[in-house]
Amino acid sequence: MINLIATAASQKQAQQLLAAGIDTLYIGEDYFGLRLPHSFERTELAEMVKLTHQAGKKITVAVNALMHNERISQVKDYLQFLADLKVDQVTVGDPGVVYVIQQAKLPLKFVYDSEVLMTSSRQINFWAQHGASGAVLAREVPYGELTTLTPELQIPAEMQVYGATCIHQSGRPLVHNYFNFVQEHQDRADRQRGLFVSAPHKPETHYSIYEDINGTHLFANNDLNLMTKLPELLALGLTDWKLDGLFAGETEFVAIAQQFVQAKQALTNDKWTAELAADLSMQVAAQQPANRGLDTGFYDIDPSEVQ
Amino acid sequence: MRVITDKPEVLAPAGTLEKLKVAIDYGADAVYIGGDAYGLRSRAGNFSFDQMREGVAYAQAHQAKVYVAANIVAHEGDTAGAGEFFRTLRDLGISAVIVSDPSLIEIAITEAPGLPVHLSTQASATNYETLNFWQAEGLERVVLAREVGIEEIKEMRRHTDVQIEAFIHGAMCIGYSGRCVLSNHMSMRDANRGGCAQNCRWKYDLFEMPANGEKQSQVENGEAFSMSAVDMAMIEHIPDLVEAGVNSFKIEGRMKSIHYVSTVANVYRQAVDSYCADPEHYVLKREWVDELWKVAQREMSTGFYYGTPTADDELFGKRRKRPQYGFVGEVLDYDAEHKVALVQQRNNFGVGDKIEFYGPNFTHTEQVVERLWDQDNDILYRAPDAMMICKLPVVQPVKAGDMIRKQR
Repeated sequence: MINLIATAASQKQAQQLLAAGIDTLYIGEDYFGLRLPHSFERTELAEMVKLTHQAGKKITVAVNALMHNERISQVKDYLQFLADLKVDQVTVGDPGVVYVIQQAKLPLKFVYDSEVLMTSSRQINFWAQHGASGAVLAREVPYGELTTLTPELQIPAEMQVYGATCIHQSGRPLVHNYFNFVQEHQDRADRQRGLFVSAPHKPETHYSIYEDINGTHLFANNDLNLMTKLPELLALGLTDWKLDGLFAGETEFVAIAQQFVQAKQALTNDKWTAELAADLSMQVAAQQPANRGLDTGFYDIDPSEVQ
Repeated sequence: MRVITDKPEVLAPAGTLEKLKVAIDYGADAVYIGGDAYGLRSRAGNFSFDQMREGVAYAQAHQAKVYVAANIVAHEGDTAGAGEFFRTLRDLGISAVIVSDPSLIEIAITEAPGLPVHLSTQASATNYETLNFWQAEGLERVVLAREVGIEEIKEMRRHTDVQIEAFIHGAMCIGYSGRCVLSNHMSMRDANRGGCAQNCRWKYDLFEMPANGEKQSQVENGEAFSMSAVDMAMIEHIPDLVEAGVNSFKIEGRMKSIHYVSTVANVYRQAVDSYCADPEHYVLKREWVDELWKVAQREMSTGFYYGTPTADDELFGKRRKRPQYGFVGEVLDYDAEHKVALVQQRNNFGVGDKIEFYGPNFTHTEQVVERLWDQDNDILYRAPDAMMICKLPVVQPVKAGDMIRKQR
């Protein structure tokens, strides 16, 4: 019933995640998908599909980029390639891609994921009526809204339960523009470089920032860890849980996934306790990269606190 | 001689009923406003239904249209009453609603049939298949994402006949509109429900975190890291926009002043009319550009129209000097016999000040204030009181509705 979804940064890590008990792998190529730990080109991707299916597990491919003309003109070919590989589903975040799937009648299930925009049941149901088999909820939807949102859903909604939260995407190379202005040209502003910004007068804040072919991306101050909230999600009928390893160490992310697999087993076998939750949550924190905090994001925020 | 008859629309912002009237007087073919609900400019002075009714009547009398922005991204429960709201707008004579959230689009289309729907720029439409998707849903028009270039618009035109609206002037988001929740996470204000705190324009510190050790600031030369876009101005590229097939030229700024709205609408009205009347002999007039600088709040650029913006398109370093103009007043009446203007003051001015009158159809006259009287013909030296009525002799004829500004 519970579907644990995890990103994969390599074939090796994918195999470890599958062995650890992850149900669905989430991968893709940067040209069509957003903010992925690794960009899997077609050959690599085909191998990943094969190994996932051999393990009896599912694979979702990210096709959720904001497409400009140049990409939308190539997306049909890519989607056909994915359909031929029999990937289990794709994520989509641009209505143009939905249009392409509809027009070409591609035999491909899609989950709608426009990230920060996915904030109501009615919107999710709109995409359901346009063929979506699932949707990904925005991280900015607190529990206080989930309680009224989930009973209205016509399709399953996925929740991120671990990892970084993107809070801004720009089409501009914001880091390079800055370096160019101060005439300190630096070649790299990629994710591996580990750049982050701090808000004015809040030196303790840490908003990761990097550039790739989709532009510049900024992330929330802390990564998400909803370990202790899993029973509540389950009670709401939200059972698709995503672990995003974008900023996690490759080995550490597998260890984090193991904690969530344990949680799934405990919840399934009615063995869940507050002590276990606290322990698993601590184990997750222990695997967190240095200098990256964890919290529950918007989950516990009172909806009326947001102006 | 070639003449363009299906001229693109000049679409101006109107934060209030007064601004709506001014925008139309100064040449806007259409204005967009906010209602009491579902709009992104919660502080823009939104319209009640009665004000909308008056605005629509004024617009219709001047062959203009009124659109209502209802471009929030709704959270659970926010859409209650939206069907009724859209039906009321339709029955009031609103020409279209500008919507971003698919749930509100669906409500508008199914519950208020006959009310045209435009996709807001907040939905970041960046390709022709997205335009086709929304046209198939029944939308009349798509406002493009500000990340789309001229060549991309031309390509879109080859694949779709949905109406295309594009921003030509004003402030810009630094990110893909809608795909930004900096304000939610940093200020607990929902950027997509009217609460944007403009966190992108803050001054940040930028760090690198080595695998081991202390974080190291990458801030150089004392210049803080920021993500602040300069404003857009496409005045020098009107032919490109027309020829690319843009149907509506949108000016940003529902929060902006009457001075801004009248000036910007006036300039683009001139440029569009001038180009469409005789494209082959069109000449960009220096005074149009100068005029826009008089109401500029920031430096200006062409955004993504001609390529990915560079450091020059962001606000770094010392601000460039630009002329600073203040809005002084509005002409209420003109006595042609005595060459005296009756003026309502908006900001302090007085004898000795060099002022500029400007009006619809791009009329301009400059003069020094030689004398000034109050309504009872008592002599004044200054007009310091807000909204006070005064009289002054003018060197050239003016007319009711003309505005007055002066350089600071």
